[in-house]
Amino acid sequence: MTEIGYSSSPGGVNGRSVETFRHTEREIWEVREMEVVPALRAVGEMRAGDHLLLGYDADEERETVVASFLLDGLASGHRGLVLGPADLPAELALTFLESRGCAVDDELAAGRLTVDPHLGTPEGLWDLDEVIRRETRRAVGDGYLGLRVSMEIMRGQAGKGLKTLHDSELLLEPVFASLPVLGICQYDRRVFDDGELAPLDGLHHGRVAADLVWRDELLSITRTFAPPGLALLGEVDDTNVTALARALQAETARARARTANGTSIRLDLRELAFIDVGALRLLVFSALSLHTSGGTLVLHGVAPHIQRLMRVTGWDRIPGLRLGKGEVREGAIS
Amino acid sequence: MTRPGFVHQALCYGSDEDFLGGAAPFALDGLHAGDTVLAVLAPRNIGLLTRALGRRSCEVEFVRADDWYGCPSRTLGRYHAYCAERGTDGAGRPSRVRIIGEPVWQGRTELETRAWMRYESLVNVAFAGTGHRLLCPYDTRVLPAAVVRSVTRTHPELALGAGGTTPSDRYADPADFCAECDAAEPGELPAGRDDIPFGRDRSAHVRHALRSYARALGVPEQRTHDMVAAVHEVVVNSVRHGGGRGVLRLRNDREYVICEVCDIGAVKPTTPVPPFPGHLPPDRRAVRGHGMWVVRQLSDLLTETFDPAGSIVRLYFKRAVTV
Repeated sequence: MTEIGYSSSPGGVNGRSVETFRHTEREIWEVREMEVVPALRAVGEMRAGDHLLLGYDADEERETVVASFLLDGLASGHRGLVLGPADLPAELALTFLESRGCAVDDELAAGRLTVDPHLGTPEGLWDLDEVIRRETRRAVGDGYLGLRVSMEIMRGQAGKGLKTLHDSELLLEPVFASLPVLGICQYDRRVFDDGELAPLDGLHHGRVAADLVWRDELLSITRTFAPPGLALLGEVDDTNVTALARALQAETARARARTANGTSIRLDLRELAFIDVGALRLLVFSALSLHTSGGTLVLHGVAPHIQRLMRVTGWDRIPGLRLGKGEVREGAIS
Repeated sequence: MTRPGFVHQALCYGSDEDFLGGAAPFALDGLHAGDTVLAVLAPRNIGLLTRALGRRSCEVEFVRADDWYGCPSRTLGRYHAYCAERGTDGAGRPSRVRIIGEPVWQGRTELETRAWMRYESLVNVAFAGTGHRLLCPYDTRVLPAAVVRSVTRTHPELALGAGGTTPSDRYADPADFCAECDAAEPGELPAGRDDIPFGRDRSAHVRHALRSYARALGVPEQRTHDMVAAVHEVVVNSVRHGGGRGVLRLRNDREYVICEVCDIGAVKPTTPVPPFPGHLPPDRRAVRGHGMWVVRQLSDLLTETFDPAGSIVRLYFKRAVTV
């Protein structure tokens, strides 16, 4: 990255450095020892034994990550176990899977997905390690290749000073080290602050994030959730402009699902080092198209040299194209 | 003086009286007609015209020529932006801009002089169809003879003093004049070994090599960004229209970093080269044409030969410049 020579803001994309996606497992441990930004792993890259933390800012983020996690499991012969917080009927707890094309009723009936409101009980965290050990063995006994556990952590069960939570997470480590199980512990960052989450990083193998929308040698495109949009890292040129076009198209659909008219799309460009005229023109035409239906394309954190390019072409004055400020999101991991 | 259409006159003067005899009535006529009047002049001529106009001088916007005439393509872009901004009145009706513009010729190399002559000819194309008026003073006492000779070829009209004008019978079609400028040999490239071959899907490699080269020469970061953006567009053009591959030669002399992009030429040209490529500001919503405009706006000088057998585009970036 330094080779390309662009300066990266300390916050990184969406407050994290997407560059950490590129870390291998060995490097993740090094990063942990140095106590820097926790390593990020795309959910699609998770392997058996992984015990990752998801700090999420929006329900869409949690649902996107957990859905990928469980659906990947169904596709690879794992059983999915959802340890839910509340005493919700299983079908209701899994509606976010239904909307992503999963026949939830069938999967529940076949036992490929199970929901256990265990964490919702007052003693939920006390024997979590035992529950996961038992369920993993049961899944293997039932002929599955492994178990995927999705755990939503509730504030109420965390104990004074999160002591109960720490002890519980600590006890999970040997389970993940010895059995074919992988898990995601979900923490709502609107409830747990960064100061509380930081020590918990040491009890996980890193943090998990949604899969990248695109990655090649030059460019990573990630989905952001709070606020929703896309973040671009690297360079866009003639070789990968099509990937950007495709990502914009999918993002438009995602935004339309949120609001029918006045669709606004936000691109975080703080980590964009280079964009050529052809790719900028794509953004201009996307903005013009959004504008016809009352929408806007917001470019956030555009570097001065890219702003200059936009001035020279007159693309700084396009209806439907707005330049946002590049401030770091509140609550970002730095 | 209510003639429609763009007016581009040269005022060749050999004395202060001659200068004021042409420039003062031009400015005053404009003020009477309610035009925006801009005077881009050498400091001495700013003083002369200010005194001659008296209290009306405060209605004229004065700019020092050195600050305005930095490099031809950017000056053209600047005039264009100026006229676009002030070319309509509050109600959106077209309003006329009058400019007294005296390019800087002293201290220019032969290459630069040729580019400025071409600029004077291109003005006729860039502002054709507008109602603006441009008067270009030429000081015959100090300017090289070749520069003075070019005046009648690049200006359709010559100012005679006291407001009178005559058509130039030597005026050349801008396409022909520019072709003549382009045909002149750009000169030997300085010696060097930084030749970077390029082809499809290799533009990132080219940008990387260029960044390293610029860094080693101490080019400021912002200027390096401009260089990378401009050269990238030329390289992409070459890949698309010039046979798919070529070589980027990176050189430098005391004044310029020079980036020469040569391609092997297209077997069958895909699209004809548009007239005056990149010289005229493209419409913001156009589907093409922004690349070469950006190239010219970001570089300081550019020479090109578009040839089916292989095109050569040479971009010059001043080594010490603040843009």
